[in-house]
Amino acid sequence: MGNLIYAIIFNNYPDKLNSLLSGMKGMSGESLDVVTLDEISAVVSHIERAELIADQTSAMAFAGIIEKLEQHFTLLPMRYGSMLESVDLILKMLEKNYPDFQQNLQKVENQSEFGLKVFCDPEKLKEEMRLKSETADNPSAKSEEGIKKSVYLDYMNKKLKEHRLEEKLLNYIDLVIAEFTGKLTQLHAVSKIKKRSTATILIDAVFLLKKDRKDELVQVVKDSQNQHPELNFTLTGPWPPYNFVDINLK
Amino acid sequence: MSETKILCNTGTIDLSIEDISEEFEKLKTIEDSKLSLNPENADSGLAKLVLTLIELIRKLVEKQAMRRVDGGLLTEEEIERMGETLMKLEDKMEELKKYFNLTDRDLNINLGPLGDLM
Repeated sequence: MGNLIYAIIFNNYPDKLNSLLSGMKGMSGESLDVVTLDEISAVVSHIERAELIADQTSAMAFAGIIEKLEQHFTLLPMRYGSMLESVDLILKMLEKNYPDFQQNLQKVENQSEFGLKVFCDPEKLKEEMRLKSETADNPSAKSEEGIKKSVYLDYMNKKLKEHRLEEKLLNYIDLVIAEFTGKLTQLHAVSKIKKRSTATILIDAVFLLKKDRKDELVQVVKDSQNQHPELNFTLTGPWPPYNFVDINLK
Repeated sequence: MSETKILCNTGTIDLSIEDISEEFEKLKTIEDSKLSLNPENADSGLAKLVLTLIELIRKLVEKQAMRRVDGGLLTEEEIERMGETLMKLEDKMEELKKYFNLTDRDLNINLGPLGDLM
């Protein structure tokens, strides 16, 4: 029998925590317990290693337990499958990593993670950009006309057009990101942003901000949506701070 | 993903929850894009690694060439020669991919937190 660790939390209100845990079940139906060292606790449940199945359903159930805890406590979510054999080993782990846990818990205190995905129809967007650039009187269009005399020049012409469209698309993404992050500064949000995760997802971002500023974030997203009707903005959350914990466990 | 977690989903593109989930799935292709080397597939595993590096360099060369053309620094003859080189490189890559039974997706290694190589 081992101990599956769900999260590390600031245990400022032990009674509230015990009351919450008494109404919850861990994986495989076992009750949830806490292992505490000073101000920090690990939320655990007993489980046989063989019972821990690495599939999507189990991982989602694990995440569901962490989400429920996150609604009431500041926490650091643990990776699915984090197990230690005994309470002594958990206490040793808490002790070795105590300063890091404390620092990260302070960093995410009363904050939640939110995810933003900005979708587009890439072909439609590129077509619109192509039409715009063709109608605009720019010198680069003239240089294209000059290189259409052989198969190799045709090839270069085609590649050049693709290159310019790609550059335009990247500039456009940068513009949307700059506008959006500009609006976010007033919310004091920490953000991590990736461009073009897939052809359809132009922006894949996560934000960490105070739980009580959720509605303001929703408004910022709606404003951006009004500004860019050609895109789809999908905001999700609140999530535990999966992308904002920076610890290598010792 | 639970619909209750979607705080805002707006826009004119017709995307259902299923479409969004499908896009999320595309982000989880790390296993597919890992380099898998074992005694049975040493040849094709090595070919995949080598071709990935060649494809990366080819695309960088192509991008740099386009920047130079776009900058107006090259004569028509130079552009034509560059076109011939790039076209032949692309054709040769297609041949090699076909020979080793690889697709464009196979040549895009996932670098974990850094994202896809290309």
